[in-house]
Amino acid sequence: MLNASLTFLLFMPLAAGVSMLFEKDDRVVRWISLLITSAALGISLMFFFALSPSYFSFGRWLLHVDIPWIDSFGAHYSLGLDGISLVLVVLSTLLFMLSVLASWHAVRERVAFFHAMLLVMETGVLGVFLATDLFLFYLFWELMLIPMFFLIGVWGHGRRVYSAVKFLIYTISGSLLMLLAIIGLYVIHGRQTGQYTFALDALTGTQVSPTVGLWLFAAFLIGFAVKVPLFPLHSWLPDAHTDAPTAGSVILAGILLKTGTYGLLRFGFPLFPQAAAVFLPVIFSVCLIGLFYASWIAYAQQDIKRLVAYSSISHLALVVLGIAVWNDAALAGSVLQMVNHGITTGALFIMVGMMDERAHTRDINAFGGIWSKAPALSAFLLLFILSSLGLPGLNNFAGEFLILVGVFRAHPYLAAAAFAGIVTTLIYLLRLAQKVLFGPASHDGEFRDLSFRETAILLPLAALVLIIGLYPNIILRKIEGPVRGLTTIVVKAAPSGGGRLP
Amino acid sequence: MNGQSLFALLPLSILGIGSVVLLLGGAFVPSAGRKSLTLIGAVIALLSAFAAATYSPEVTDVAGFVSVAGFGRLITALAGIVAFLSLFLSTGYTGRRPLGMEEYPSLALFAAFGMALLGSAISLLGVFLGLESMTLALYILLASNRSDPLSGEAGLKYLILGAASTAFFAFGLSLIYFATGTLSVQESMRGLVSSGGLGPLGMAGWAMLLVGFGFKVSVFPFHLWAPDVYEGGPAPVVAILSTGSKTAAFAAFLRFALASTDGWGSLVPVLWAMAALTMAYGNIAALTQDNVKRLLANSSIAQMGYVLVALIAAPVSGGTYAVFYLIAYTAMDLGAFGVVAAFSGKDRDLGDIESLRGLGFVHPFRSLVLAACFISLAGLPPTVGFIGKFGIFYSAVKAGYVYLAVIGIMTAIISVYYYLRVVVYLYMRPIEESPSPAAQAHVMPRLDMAGAFALAVVLAAIVTLGVLPGWALNLVASVTGNGAL
Repeated sequence: MLNASLTFLLFMPLAAGVSMLFEKDDRVVRWISLLITSAALGISLMFFFALSPSYFSFGRWLLHVDIPWIDSFGAHYSLGLDGISLVLVVLSTLLFMLSVLASWHAVRERVAFFHAMLLVMETGVLGVFLATDLFLFYLFWELMLIPMFFLIGVWGHGRRVYSAVKFLIYTISGSLLMLLAIIGLYVIHGRQTGQYTFALDALTGTQVSPTVGLWLFAAFLIGFAVKVPLFPLHSWLPDAHTDAPTAGSVILAGILLKTGTYGLLRFGFPLFPQAAAVFLPVIFSVCLIGLFYASWIAYAQQDIKRLVAYSSISHLALVVLGIAVWNDAALAGSVLQMVNHGITTGALFIMVGMMDERAHTRDINAFGGIWSKAPALSAFLLLFILSSLGLPGLNNFAGEFLILVGVFRAHPYLAAAAFAGIVTTLIYLLRLAQKVLFGPASHDGEFRDLSFRETAILLPLAALVLIIGLYPNIILRKIEGPVRGLTTIVVKAAPSGGGRLP
Repeated sequence: MNGQSLFALLPLSILGIGSVVLLLGGAFVPSAGRKSLTLIGAVIALLSAFAAATYSPEVTDVAGFVSVAGFGRLITALAGIVAFLSLFLSTGYTGRRPLGMEEYPSLALFAAFGMALLGSAISLLGVFLGLESMTLALYILLASNRSDPLSGEAGLKYLILGAASTAFFAFGLSLIYFATGTLSVQESMRGLVSSGGLGPLGMAGWAMLLVGFGFKVSVFPFHLWAPDVYEGGPAPVVAILSTGSKTAAFAAFLRFALASTDGWGSLVPVLWAMAALTMAYGNIAALTQDNVKRLLANSSIAQMGYVLVALIAAPVSGGTYAVFYLIAYTAMDLGAFGVVAAFSGKDRDLGDIESLRGLGFVHPFRSLVLAACFISLAGLPPTVGFIGKFGIFYSAVKAGYVYLAVIGIMTAIISVYYYLRVVVYLYMRPIEESPSPAAQAHVMPRLDMAGAFALAVVLAAIVTLGVLPGWALNLVASVTGNGAL
């Protein structure tokens, strides 16, 4: 029964999205979208609270569906929910619901098409977090691209078409390389065992020759790193964020980037532990470069949205660092940080959208002293800025701290460098707070404070910032079992001696 | 030839006789009623497809000439469906143009007859007859828009280059007959092999055959005719040319290839280079096209490169994925040209990509079909194009042609750009931003019922086969795999 509800949760948004594609009445569309996304959030919260933590261990999915799908490929319709997927599913359904609310007044044209794209993307995203069959995973992985392409290209601002195409070409290039690696692994496994399958559990133990393994892992790494995005492959992200509508930015930063890090920890590292060990120096360096470089660029931004976009690159670099050292503490911290970043950055993008609706600009210099005009809005903004820079007691601190502890255990110097990288985020975020909230009022016109709808959007996010900050166990309890499962299989798969992950 | 084998020819006869009856009988129909002959032709084509799909018991050898079994039936059914859909897509188009009295549906049926024969033939002569009857009908159809000089140019180009390639093909067949002394495809292909490779005569014969096949399916370096012919020919005719004729030619090619896998190794280097260059050339050339039909022509060249990859791998990993991709491609390209035809006004076919600007929200259905076709051509899920491309790359890797698969992936990345460019024009470039708003103001023709039905069928096929391809893959595997050919 619960297993069937997983499928229901997955396809409900798609079915609703497709069926209201040609609906003329905008109000109907908005309310149905809100209803569907709330229902999805309700189902995922039910999973979150109803399923007891004792279930959580690797190999024993909390919920599992497995039905043969394309028998000539050996592909299965196979979904698995464990603690890691669970928290990401809850995060996704929450942010999709908030995106619908955030677009209530901002999107006025082609409303039905917009919400249809949003809902189709929700299915794609949930599918990515739930699929345990590589073929199915790839299908959902690409399913989420097309709606995002439309969101940016049709409802975006500025150079929206350029940004949409850039986003699509970057991500598709990465994912097509990954497709080739998936086929390669599939054929190698099929030759070895005579059983052609895409099932993650079966493929995890595949013995790949070291050279081939390097190529395959490199393809996976590029596919996921584009999405994260890691340092040299990041240049699509600022454009896509800047030109996307608010809902697009929220989904992009809050969820789509997480699919990249999720892919690394669910597929990339467990499938090729030896090859991953060889790549570690590369991954470490691009993460460190990303941490500093993105902060530096963020400091130079005049556009608030672009600044937040660059801050995502630096935050996600830390998450990948935590995944790459691959021990319990760091991995748990990374998963927690994925959730935290979704909440905080999602909230920041929503707030930038609200400020843009009021002032019709996102230039950092156009704002100033808005605290006196809109205290509630300013208080929320300050809270999310403080959360983003990792103030103790707020959510990001818990995640960053765990990652640093894990990294320190493996490589103390790396932890020191990463810590320095985190400090740099202080500089640009405090500059943002100082310029926008305080100082002389540079914006003459009226600046409304939050409406009821806007408060309703921000309140749950602010509550989560505090709850996770003060009691991170609410998330950690769910993910510790699966995280331990992941770390043990990779260590088991790697031979003793050379080529081990630290 | 007994009664049963004569009866087995029913699907082919329906197409052939139907074509003649339409042509002769059409002369007695008053000119007001002749428009409905297109629909009658479509029904005849559908009947033939139905007969091919349901025919039993199978007869694998009718007078040593054709085989009405598995693979032949599949290609016959496909030819019938292509003719049916393209005639349905033509009704609105021919209503606006000075073409399409009785000869138009009659020739379309005749072309379908040629395709069916080409796919079913098991004798060298049968293959030649099929190829010729198909192309002959297409020569005339391409030039049938007499008021448009481009149409005449298209017909002439196809005729001259086609005749040259036919000469090569016929010479290749006679060399093979000379070397082996048999007209059976299977026996002659086996006869060409000596000590694990092709003998000198076999090589010469295959070289000539490759010229012939290469021209019909427009692979590098025999592709040069495609953009001009596609641009000039009437869109529904180009739909047949691009889908049915290439599928049938590839079907015959596959029959030759699978007849004897021992000699295949001698051909692989040449075919490998042809496939790589075709994918690279087609996709790169399409990047700069601003004319939708020329873009589709170059895209079609590139797509044939992908089929060629699967064909190279066919002796190792089976012809299933080549044939499945051809089916997928048939649906996608029929849809694309169908929408082009539906957007083509009285004077000219839809040309400049600019004229698609902003249509996504003005003509949602046609734009949706066009966007779905292009997304599928780009190989993105959840469309049949993705499953097809997956099959291609899978069969290539499985057969050990990893570099070919890598080249295929790289060129597929390039192709995403120009395929999505069309989607960008449909949905992301508003009409108001047009450089010449006056030119944009012209009204697109209405979509008639038959056209809408055909487009809906194509859209349903693209999505259904993209999500649930299992049964189709099994069906194709059952008629191509394990020496079924």
